[in-house]
Order: sequence, then structure tokens, then C-alpha cells
Amino acid sequence: MSDLSIQNLHVSYGSVNAVRGVSFEVHEGEIVTLIGANGAGKTTMLRAISGLEKAKEGSILYGGADLTKLPAHKIVEKGIVHIPEGRRIFSNLTVYDNLVMGAHLRKDTGEIKADLEDCFDIFPRLKERSGQLGGTLSGGEQQMLAIARGIMTHGKTMLLDEPSMGLAPLVVEEIFEVIKRINKRGTTILLVEQNANIALKNADRAYVLETGTIVKEGSAKNLLHDPAIRAAYLGC
Amino acid sequence: MGHVFQLLIYGLQLGSLYALLAMGYTLVFGIIRMINLAHADLMMLGAFAAYFLFQWFGGTGSMAILVPLIMIATLLFGAGVGFVIERFAYKPLRGRTTVASLVAAIGVQLFIENLMRCLPGVGALPKNFPTLLPKVNINIGGYQISSVQIIVIAIAALLLLFMQRLCYHTGFGKQMQAVSVDKDASSLMGINVNRVISITFSLGAALAAICGILYGSLYPTIYVYMAGTIGNKAFISAVIGGIGSIKGAMLGGLIIGIMEVFLQSFAASISYGLCFVILILVLLYKPTGLLGGKAAREKV
Repeated sequence: MSDLSIQNLHVSYGSVNAVRGVSFEVHEGEIVTLIGANGAGKTTMLRAISGLEKAKEGSILYGGADLTKLPAHKIVEKGIVHIPEGRRIFSNLTVYDNLVMGAHLRKDTGEIKADLEDCFDIFPRLKERSGQLGGTLSGGEQQMLAIARGIMTHGKTMLLDEPSMGLAPLVVEEIFEVIKRINKRGTTILLVEQNANIALKNADRAYVLETGTIVKEGSAKNLLHDPAIRAAYLGC
Repeated sequence: MGHVFQLLIYGLQLGSLYALLAMGYTLVFGIIRMINLAHADLMMLGAFAAYFLFQWFGGTGSMAILVPLIMIATLLFGAGVGFVIERFAYKPLRGRTTVASLVAAIGVQLFIENLMRCLPGVGALPKNFPTLLPKVNINIGGYQISSVQIIVIAIAALLLLFMQRLCYHTGFGKQMQAVSVDKDASSLMGINVNRVISITFSLGAALAAICGILYGSLYPTIYVYMAGTIGNKAFISAVIGGIGSIKGAMLGGLIIGIMEVFLQSFAASISYGLCFVILILVLLYKPTGLLGGKAAREKV
């Protein structure tokens, strides 16, 4: 079982409490989304799960093991991969090297090759550009590379932070197709989005975050038709 | 013409020392955007380490075995000191302001130099560096070249080539490049960022320590404050070449070294000053240095 369970999590930057006592669960195989306005604490939450921020209080359990005190590079080892906001690809390395960097902790050379082929199969454009520097890719391609690099870690649970940010609607659709495809193959997805519409359409369950606390939760379908959510986040 | 050739050899030997030192400045700057002002003191420590090792073990066994062993020991010593400095003086300040680590580096520099001065057996007086490398004069077209010069240039060139390969053609080099652009993203890939930074520091320090031996072999007077001018010129080399760039450090070192020797041959008193003129000119026309291209995007 690799369920992710967040209990009473508090994270703060100095005196600013970005996340205040949040609890939620992500079950194996699900797509769960955290939606909320800018500054609601979504990104901080993901950063705390992957170890980039230290929790002030509360716990993060993954498959029963406590991740709260582990440094980020150890959490990757446990099978959680975080695709950060703004892609954060290595602009000075080639597309190929970026992908290889994703497999940094793995020793299974044969499977790494297979996963590379798999990534190129999902994103044929990355194959065409595999010798190009990461920094020369377009925004959509960089997002694809960030996701592919995540696939290369072989993580069981993928945290995605704003994959739609700054992308053209067609590209966003393409990216979400891929997210669903990855999920169908058995990767659990925790998705953070400002674009609540597309997030709720693709997720199984959702949590609504406001100023660091969860104010609503439920199945994505129900929230999509919830009048309050529609008014606040979907603009209708 | 022969005179020019001889000056060129002197320029190469000095330039390769600057290049080795500049490599350390550039590695550290490249990975954590820090200017390690204490870097050249590692060269002084390396020179003294070799000096004492030779005092203790000189005369035992043949020089052909002893000298490589002293070099390896000095290399490891440098790496160890670099590791300790990074761990205790710089790492606690990581993520703070640039000024904090700059001041820490000045502190480390003062600490090392004054500690060495207090140590019995070191003191403030210059010491004669032992002759570690075989010295035979080779006559080429009526001009004398010492075997020491050739060996120093060869060792420096080998080390620089090794670094070049390490940084651009190995998994560890790729990790260094990844860490240099994005530490968070690197740790999300499972890279132990602190470890990469430590190793990078140690590598730079080891190069500086070896540089101490090479320097002592060419200019056999070593003293506690020897790092000052050489360190400055190596730093200028790194900036001229493009700080953060491995090839830039080599190019900058050679330019400064060769230029200095040629200028000294007719106007010794202004050659140091002219280094700064060149620096200003390069920075005016190419602010990121000759081979540096990425610093422009750096956020300050």
C-alpha cells in the first residue's frame, strides 16, 4: 500500500503560516486535486510532502512510513516524485541528460532504457529534441520534459504543481491526457491547480484550500457542480 | 624570436598555476554562487603540507616514489581541509545573503593565515621550498628551459583536462551542472545536493593544494601570506574567462599568466595593475567574461 496521509500539517515561512493544520489522504491509484486561489498554500503543501519545506507540526505518512523528517533526496527514494511549479528543468543540460538525471537513483540499467523509450513514446517531441538544451524548449515542451523526468524516477506517486500554468489550451489538454494515461498505468497523482475546471474534470476527488486550511472536500464530480465552488473558482 | 619563445614558456607556467587556482574559484562560484576568498590560502596550505612532508620523510626511499606520494598526500590534505571549511564555515550560512558568506570567507582567510603564523615551525618568515621535481636544463635553440617548467605545465594541463572531463562527461559532472542551476529540482531527482557541494569544494581545494606544490617548485620561496597576490590574479583570471565556466578559468589563467610575463619583461612595475585594466575592459565589453554566458540570467 502506498497511500499518502497528511495529518494536521503546519508549515510556515518565518512568521507567515502558509499551511495551518491540513489533513487529507491520497489513496493508491487515485487522482486527487487540491484547488484554491493564489496563496492558499497549495504549493507549500507539495513542497512539504516532497521535503523541500520542513513541517512545523503534524505528520506526512507514506505507505505507513513517516516522511516528515526526511530530506528531499531521501523522499524520492521512497517513491514520491514532485514535478515542481514552473517546470524547473535543468536548462543547461540536454533533454536527454535531464531525463537521465531523473533516473539518478536507479541502478536497473535495462529498465531505465525501457523507461526512456516509454517517455519518448509518450512525448515524441522530446525524442526529436533529445540533444537540445533544456532551456531552448517551449513552455509546453518544458512541461512535458518535467513530467517525463518525473516518470524516469519511477515514482509510485506523482505530485504535480500547476502543470497547466502558462500553456495554451490545446497544450493543457495534451498534458492532462498524459496525466490520465500515467495514472491508468498505476501512478497515483496529487494535482495542484489554479485551473479548477480542468483539475476537477480529470480528478477523482478534490480538496479546496483557502488560506492554509481545507474548507471543502468531496468527489471531483460533486465539487464541479457545487454552486459555491462554481462561483468562487469556476467563474460561473 | 627565441626570446619570445622563452617568455611564452614562463607565461604558460604562470598561467597554468593561475588556471588551476581559477578552477577552484569557478567551481565554487558555479555551484553555490559564492566567491570563496579563502581559496588561495589552500594553495599556501598545500605548499606547507608538502614542505613538512618532505622534511619528515625526505631521504627515505627514492625521490621517484616519495614525490608522487607527497603529491597525493597533499591532494588529499587539501580536499580534507576544503571539506572541513565548507562544512563548518560556509554550509551553516547557505541560503543567507551573499554578504554573509563573503564575510565568512574573509574570516576563514584570516583564520588560516594567522593560525599558520602561530604554528611552531611555520611562523611569518619565508621558507625555502625543497626541490621535489628533477631539475635538468634543456637547451632549445640557445635558450634554457628547465625540466621543472615542463613538468609543472604538464601536471597542470593533466589536472585541467581531468577537470574538464569530470565536469562535462561524467555523471557526477552532470549532477554538478544540475545543482548549479536548480538545487530544489536536483534534490527532487534524488541528488544529495549537500554532498555534491561538499565534493565540489573539496575538488577545488585539492587543486589549490597541488598548485601550492607546483608554485613552490617554480618559485621556491613559500610564506604564510603568499596567497594574496596570486589569489587575486587567479580570481581575476576566473572573472575574465567567465566565472562559473570551466574552460573560461583555463583561458583566463593563461591570458593573465602570459600577459603578465610579457609585460614584466619590459615594464615590471605596471604589470599587476594592467591585469585590472584588462579585467575592466573585459567586463565593460563582455560583463559575463569571455566564455561565460549564463551569469546574465542570474538573479541577485
